[in-house]
Amino acid sequence: MRSALAVAVKELRQIARDRRTLMILIFLPTFFLFLYGYALNFDIRHIAIVVDDRDQTADSRALVAAFVRSTYFDIAGATHSDAEATDWIDRGRARAVLVIPSDFSQALRSGVTATVQVIVDGDNANTATTVLGYVSAVLRLASATLGGRAVPALVSVEPRIWYNPELRSTVFLVPGLIAFISMITAVVSTALSIVREKERGTMEQVRMAPISTLSFVLGKTLPYLVLSLIGAVAIMLAAMYFFGLPMRGAWPTLLLVVTLFLIGALGTGLLVSTLADTQQVAFQAAALIAMLPTLILSGFIFPIASMPVALQVISSVVPARYFLVALRGIVLKGLDAGALWGPMLALVAYACVVLGISAVRLARR
Amino acid sequence: MSEAGRAITVSHLSKRFGAFTAVDDLSFDVGRGEIFGFLGANGAGKSTTIRMLCGLLTPTSGTASIDGIDVGRDPEGVKRRIGYMSQRFSLYELLTVEQNIRFYAGLYGLDGDRFTRRRQFALEMGGLVGKEHVEARALSGGWRQRLALGCALLHEPPIVFLDEPTGGVDPVSRREFWRLIDGLATSGTTVLVTTHYLDEAERCDRVAIIHAGRLAALGTTAALKADAFDTRPILEVRGAQPVALMGALDALPMVEKTSLFGTAVHAVGRDAGVSAGTLRAALPPGLEVTDIVRVSPSLEDVFLDVVDRSEARGAA
Amino acid sequence: MRRRIRTLIWKEFIELRKSPQLLRIVIIAPVLQLCMLGYAATTDVRNVPIVVVDGDRSPDSRRFVEKFAASPYFDIVDEGMAPSDIDAHLARGTAWLGLVLPAGFGSGIERGDRADGSQRTVQVIADGTDANSSGVALAYVQGLVGEFNADLARERGTPLPQIDGRVRVWFNADLESRNFMIPGVLALLLMLITANLTSMAIVREREIGTLDQLNVTPIGRWELILGKLLPYALVGFIDVLLVVAVAVFWFQVPLRGSVPLLLGASMVYLVCTLGLGLLVSTMSATQQQAMMTSTFFFLLPMIYLSGFIFPIENMPRVIQWLTTLIPLRYFLVIVRGIFLKGVGFNILWPQFLALAVWGTAVLALAAARSRKRT
Repeated sequence: MRSALAVAVKELRQIARDRRTLMILIFLPTFFLFLYGYALNFDIRHIAIVVDDRDQTADSRALVAAFVRSTYFDIAGATHSDAEATDWIDRGRARAVLVIPSDFSQALRSGVTATVQVIVDGDNANTATTVLGYVSAVLRLASATLGGRAVPALVSVEPRIWYNPELRSTVFLVPGLIAFISMITAVVSTALSIVREKERGTMEQVRMAPISTLSFVLGKTLPYLVLSLIGAVAIMLAAMYFFGLPMRGAWPTLLLVVTLFLIGALGTGLLVSTLADTQQVAFQAAALIAMLPTLILSGFIFPIASMPVALQVISSVVPARYFLVALRGIVLKGLDAGALWGPMLALVAYACVVLGISAVRLARR
Repeated sequence: MSEAGRAITVSHLSKRFGAFTAVDDLSFDVGRGEIFGFLGANGAGKSTTIRMLCGLLTPTSGTASIDGIDVGRDPEGVKRRIGYMSQRFSLYELLTVEQNIRFYAGLYGLDGDRFTRRRQFALEMGGLVGKEHVEARALSGGWRQRLALGCALLHEPPIVFLDEPTGGVDPVSRREFWRLIDGLATSGTTVLVTTHYLDEAERCDRVAIIHAGRLAALGTTAALKADAFDTRPILEVRGAQPVALMGALDALPMVEKTSLFGTAVHAVGRDAGVSAGTLRAALPPGLEVTDIVRVSPSLEDVFLDVVDRSEARGAA
Repeated sequence: MRRRIRTLIWKEFIELRKSPQLLRIVIIAPVLQLCMLGYAATTDVRNVPIVVVDGDRSPDSRRFVEKFAASPYFDIVDEGMAPSDIDAHLARGTAWLGLVLPAGFGSGIERGDRADGSQRTVQVIADGTDANSSGVALAYVQGLVGEFNADLARERGTPLPQIDGRVRVWFNADLESRNFMIPGVLALLLMLITANLTSMAIVREREIGTLDQLNVTPIGRWELILGKLLPYALVGFIDVLLVVAVAVFWFQVPLRGSVPLLLGASMVYLVCTLGLGLLVSTMSATQQQAMMTSTFFFLLPMIYLSGFIFPIENMPRVIQWLTTLIPLRYFLVIVRGIFLKGVGFNILWPQFLALAVWGTAVLALAAARSRKRT
């Protein structure tokens, strides 16, 4: 145990001397959280739409007004031909085009279904879906109020949103950011630090010393565990203070979950270090194994349920997935450890597997 | 020596890093074909000086001229005329012996006949014939050292800088290496070598002792020894309890200082009058003394003495 | 001079060839990442798990529930007895939405206007954690309800006035997220690989000490720089070809524009990423610093703020202004433009210009900092 501490202290001293790495490990995540939390969201407003009104009646103008009143759309301009509309979209100056045919008002007042044409720029599929949703919503609303008749809908819907009534996507993204940043710092720093010794040849010296592999590994990873934990807590506090991220659960449970996740992350770094010969390879491997799955397959941004089955399976071995479920559960839903036994078990299992494989590989040398 | 005859001329060269002065007002000359040694502890400023002379580091003040070219003003101009071997024998580990040679030859623009000749020279000099396709990382210390030297000499530079070239190399290889250096000097190449091995410093024509960035002493080894100890004899005292002996000797006014030398004690007398006889007489009777004999100073004695005096001067 | 550069490039390639691990990663990683992103990256919402609590159990309420069961957007995972059943599902995350049909739903519909409105109201309880998906799911619910209403109205002979939106989606008719994401991946991968590899490679030479050895030779500053950058430019270019091939032939992402234009844009972009790598190397003493700096200071912000996933229009003005400094942003526009819209240089020239300016500036700055003598 004492030798592990000695290694840990030496590692900490090395980190402390490398001021830039230290700053990055502790302060930068918080800074970026601030930046991202402020800048990133999927909520869409001010969608630029151009209108080709071929009817020019009170009704058609009322329809256009309905789009404006929805607060989602900004009328970017008026066009008079298909070619003009094409140009607006090609140049990216408008996201959608509303074409109102010349018989619009007539059709509406005679009880026939009036058809308008909406062209949406599909190149950003994420926003296009949402834009379509908004368009349908506006059209539906307009249907009920135009044409001079107000007909109450037969079935209406009363939505109630739990956990995040204002539907702020920040609330959803922030835990993901925490997972992502923690994963990177833990995995990459651990991998690099060990591989660096390998590269420099000091690895041999250390292994010669009367210190067991376990102590060595413990000593190497402990400092990064502590630093990542500090970083994660710093991010959480910043999120709560600056973004009003609620904290409906208990801090001890939260810290437990974060620690479990970080241990798994460090184990991943360790595993990478047993596979890579040089720091360059270690970094690229860590990026591949840690960063991208955490970004893409963990449910951080893209919903897992919508992915093809094969990827859902792969996602089940991405620790960040369970971390996010647990983190969101604690922070937003106020769940306690009992309710979260599933994800926590998964995190523990992952950590054991990864550390186990690393131990086997290290022992073999 | 005339200006034209001097290979290296250094005049009041200094380098400061913020508040820290690494090299302090260094001035010396090196003649053509001379083996010039830079002796000093780690951190004394040897590598920093060499890097300035090679055009890798900008001096804070002072000038240096290599083969007649002012390094401060025209660092690139000197590069064709110098060879440099760094402390870490910078070779490309993944490249073979052949490839490393080819690489440096390519950088210096050697081709055709000249390349073939120099390649052969490097291989033979290094004893690497037959090892052309061995990767550098597979070579042991001595071989790498010779390969690095060979690569530094490919373009036949008249002046060569060797920074701690024998670090971590076995004694046999070290001796071999110095034989090569002697050969170089004989054929007219000027060699400036830094070292902290005293036995190597003995093999140099002249030695500059560097301490805390300053030139503490300069001269042939014989001159240095004479300067330091002609009037201050060194007496080697042997006894059963060296430490007690040292304490007793220190207490004597005729002894300037003492140091442990293996199991014996070296005592430096304050003046020429101090001898084996006077010393034995001055020692308290209870102490067991087996032998006292005057010895000729070694370079180690000189070095320690110079450093002592330099520190005393610095503190004053 | 050319010989010296050739010598440097030759050396770099020997080292690359002798690092099989690195080679494998540099070739395999892009393809793997492409696959991951290609298949996973979708904000389309499908198979939304919902819980239904039918408090009425009338033919009308069954018909309502049936509409949801039949929809590809929803997946009814449970039918509960009471609204409290929904709580557990939402808490555990096994369902995103709960639908509660009140008792009297069917009769409320029968009696129409004369009935109390609350009987005809379906309560939708949504897990707001994933705001984006919830929002879309809610919109789908509204859509299905609207259809239900229209069906009812038609059956009674009082058709509701309808404004029907005939929607055409351009460039990406199936709204395949993939077509949007994959061209973006190209931009991302190039930056990740070339910037990092380059910066670490240069710093490694500094760490080992061979950089000093190089600086002592008569080689020129630009020869050194080119000798280091060109090999990785080639690696980057091969990655471009690889990614484009996989995107087009495996993922069937439409490539409607000009391939030479795409390759040309890639080359300009490579100047930016390599210059960035060089710049980072001048700021880092160790490989770890180089990696940390390039990833945290440059790559990550660029990934998030370039419009790769999160639309720039949604960002606060100040940050939008900041994003004009990110080369990835312009390259994304070019790549998506060429792949999906098939547009040409006449439309994309502002982006090309921006990239060229950025690349030149970064390279100049980096070169100024890469002196042979410190």
